[in-house]
Amino acid sequence: MNKHIIKSLSAVALGLSLNLVSVPAFAENFLLGEHTPLSGKLARVGTGSHRGILSAVKVLNEKYNGQHSFEVKTIDDESSPAKAVSAVEKLVSQGVIAFTGGYSSGIIGPASEAAHKANRVYITFGGVAGPLSKRGHEGFFRINNTAGYGKAIIGLISDMGLKKVSILYSNKEATVKTAEFVEKGLTEGGVTIIKHEFDGHTKDFKSIINKVKLQDKSEAILMVGYETDYIGILRAAKLLKPKVKAMIGIWSLATGKMATEFPTLMENVYGTSMLPFPVAFTTSEQKVFHTAYTAEFDNEPSYLEQFGYVQTLLLGEAIIAAHSKGEVNLKTISEELRKTDQMTLAGRVRFDENGDNPEFVQRVGQHRTGKIEIVWPLSAKTSDKAFPGTPWN
Amino acid sequence: MLELTLQAIYTGLLSGGFYALVAVGLALIFGTMKVINLAHGELVLLAAYVAYATESKLGLNPLLALPIAMAVVVSAALLTYFLTNHIKKDRELNSLILTFGLGIILTNSLLMVFSANIYSTSTEWFFEGVVIGDTLFSMRSELLAFVVGVLSLGGLYWWLNHTWHGRAIRAVSSNLDAAKLMGMNPKQAEMWSWGVAGILATLAGCMLYTTSVIHPPIGHGLTIKAFIITVLAGMGSIPGVLVGAFLIAIIESLTATFFQSSLSELASMGIFLVVLIVLPSGLFGNKRIH
Amino acid sequence: MSNFRIFAPLAIVMYIIVPFLFSGNDYLMGMIATALIIAGIALAWALLGNLGGMVSFGHAAFFGVGAYTSAVLTMDYNVPVFLAMIIAGFGASLASVFMMPALRLHGPYFALAILAYAHIFMILATEMTSITGGAAGLLSIPNLPVFMGFDFGTKLGGYIVILNIVSLALVVYHLIRRSTYGLALKAMHDSELATRIVGVPATQLKAIMLVVSAFITGCVGAFNAHFINFLDPEYAFSGEWTVIPIVAAIFGGYRTLSGPVLGALFIYLADQLVFKSLLPQGHQLILGALLGGMILLSPSGLLPIITNMFKRFSKKGDAQHVES
Repeated sequence: MNKHIIKSLSAVALGLSLNLVSVPAFAENFLLGEHTPLSGKLARVGTGSHRGILSAVKVLNEKYNGQHSFEVKTIDDESSPAKAVSAVEKLVSQGVIAFTGGYSSGIIGPASEAAHKANRVYITFGGVAGPLSKRGHEGFFRINNTAGYGKAIIGLISDMGLKKVSILYSNKEATVKTAEFVEKGLTEGGVTIIKHEFDGHTKDFKSIINKVKLQDKSEAILMVGYETDYIGILRAAKLLKPKVKAMIGIWSLATGKMATEFPTLMENVYGTSMLPFPVAFTTSEQKVFHTAYTAEFDNEPSYLEQFGYVQTLLLGEAIIAAHSKGEVNLKTISEELRKTDQMTLAGRVRFDENGDNPEFVQRVGQHRTGKIEIVWPLSAKTSDKAFPGTPWN
Repeated sequence: MLELTLQAIYTGLLSGGFYALVAVGLALIFGTMKVINLAHGELVLLAAYVAYATESKLGLNPLLALPIAMAVVVSAALLTYFLTNHIKKDRELNSLILTFGLGIILTNSLLMVFSANIYSTSTEWFFEGVVIGDTLFSMRSELLAFVVGVLSLGGLYWWLNHTWHGRAIRAVSSNLDAAKLMGMNPKQAEMWSWGVAGILATLAGCMLYTTSVIHPPIGHGLTIKAFIITVLAGMGSIPGVLVGAFLIAIIESLTATFFQSSLSELASMGIFLVVLIVLPSGLFGNKRIH
Repeated sequence: MSNFRIFAPLAIVMYIIVPFLFSGNDYLMGMIATALIIAGIALAWALLGNLGGMVSFGHAAFFGVGAYTSAVLTMDYNVPVFLAMIIAGFGASLASVFMMPALRLHGPYFALAILAYAHIFMILATEMTSITGGAAGLLSIPNLPVFMGFDFGTKLGGYIVILNIVSLALVVYHLIRRSTYGLALKAMHDSELATRIVGVPATQLKAIMLVVSAFITGCVGAFNAHFINFLDPEYAFSGEWTVIPIVAAIFGGYRTLSGPVLGALFIYLADQLVFKSLLPQGHQLILGALLGGMILLSPSGLLPIITNMFKRFSKKGDAQHVES
């Protein structure tokens, strides 16, 4: 305990005096920093991501047991940009060497700016805004992006051969961008798109669905929103029964939670998902994650937990690699991260010069009687899609 | 077009019944004590969580949670009343802070106990469709919320006009000093109004859980909606609450149908402002509770 | 006299001791600057409440309009940041002119009308994508600049700027209160009907207070945009910019000059520095309990407690003096 305090104190002193963390190459405790929304409007997603990060730290510690150890210090940013910036600054003063976490571009933007000023690496999956990676921050990395979700949905809809699709999207930043991306891609492929915007306050989706049913007469409904929106839309659709062939969602939909809690509402609904549910954790990497996760938490991990896990694991490995070569600092960790090219739970990850992952493509799953089967792309599918198919027929 | 319009009005009418149910508890207390209970939405949400716990832990129909939820929420409402009653100075303003603080405590307690997850009832019965004449669609739960809302307001109206306690509340709210002179105990009337507001919040909470999705941060939004309807209605007027709630809800659903959903609140806020500027004391202003 | 007694030590602490002790600590400086942002809004709110007799539930409207005005001016029109911040104040004042019809409303009716305006502004900011960037918001808003050789883009620089904004607001508030306007406003507060009969133009006076209050809030909002370098409608018009300052003002004692500032510093710093370390998740719970307790035990706010402490302290001092 005492030794630990001295160690962290000296790390703080080092951090303060040099504003750069450099440590000699021997057994080391690496201190990671995390700011994440554990309360406020983003609490749910923040908690998911946080759990994934904790699992990654557990896995890293088991893997390097006896050689190195990792520790993560977490501060709740309360879904507020100012508090996220404060959190980053406080964590820097406590001697963290890199950041993992964050949710929502508006919070990640200022927070990663603060990390940049303090010469720390910042890795995330929570912000998909384009400009984030174009600020020339050497240490900014993200493992996902709008395009990866968009490409999967465009691929799926093209395979279905649909001619007319209604897009219902929330007027949040990530959802607007994704809706635009999909609209552009599908329009180029000759699909007619009709868009309907809603906002976070929209509880009653009967009006929109009725328009789709009576005016649009489209062949599929694409939902770009969040869990509460999906539940509202699907309930309204099940009630009004528009003549569509498919109900498709983006994120937070093809998840174990939705499959277990709303099995009949979700039947035949599509959504992006890297893995089927219940997860047949087949590869050793998947098994490692699942064991570590279920040891701590009693729910089934969703994409939030998986992505938080992946980004932290990549960061940890890069730190170890940098450490084995000498100094651990912004430059060396970034260099090692840029060398990453591997298959993960979140698909293939490789970083370009902006820190973006050009390989990121989601897969699409379909809810089937309480399970989720992967139906797109062909190379990863666990089952054929039930098409046409909706929760009501 | 006609079909769309009819459905929009029907949808608005049904949500209006629910909005009225959420708002009326706030309006009652506002009318009696001039106190704005900023924790009202959180009380509604508390009832919804009790319904959730009853359903998920005991496996019972969420409507059977009503007695338990009522006990919990009415106690919470009475506790709020006793605290508010201890404010010595400037009660109208200071009660804002006090109830705001209680709202924070409730939201964060819900967050700690139930986590940030979203919940909604898993009882399918509530989501079965009710179709009228092949054009008007609603879920059973929405129809139920409407009926409960309208009946509750009707019941409250009757209670205020025809029972001793109800009349006492009206007397206290329209002229405190006169009521005191006539030997009424204003504290008792106030306590009754908080208790009844607690019952109404419970009903609203159970309807919320069966029609929609709950998670900890939504309480505050419910308070604001309730408050807007209360002000639109005019000082504690019960029929005003019903009319105001219908007006807001129908405008929202018409906007969602003929423009877009994300402009609904713009339209309802706009109407709210226009009404208020034309009629500065609300639709049914000037008169006290009646 | 009592003003001087509070402000002299406060000024010394804020202008000399705080920068001297913490200027190397970005975390603390950022935290105190954020507390001062809340203090600025709280002060503007109290000015309207105290002098104008109007409770507003929508100061987020002025905050957001100011923030967007300054951000758009600096990003799209290359207006220098400090100039843009002042124009932002006028922008917010302009927004308040649109709210003038609400001046005929009273009490909660006025409060809610302003809230409705704030909500409408937020939706407009979301929908007017070409100017405001829509829901995606504006990233990388320019920092506060280097001015006369000093980099205001640092945490220390930002702190000094917001401290000056709050100080200026205090001076303005003080001057208005002392002026004939202030007297008229005070009279109006006591009896609006009476003052109207005597010939004081009540509505005009209220309107002026609304414009001044909006101006201050707008400048504070603009400062925040350049301090955090980010805006989106939900953040810029967030209800928190209304609620927390109101709580702070009433908590500190909104009828006094220093109350809102002390209240904001106390609430934000206690919550973030003390309660958060005690209870990392859900620490707002303690804040809620504290607010409730405060209202019940010391309904005029924090200030009476402090003044009492001072009194006791100086009495003790006097007593010792006599003894020696």
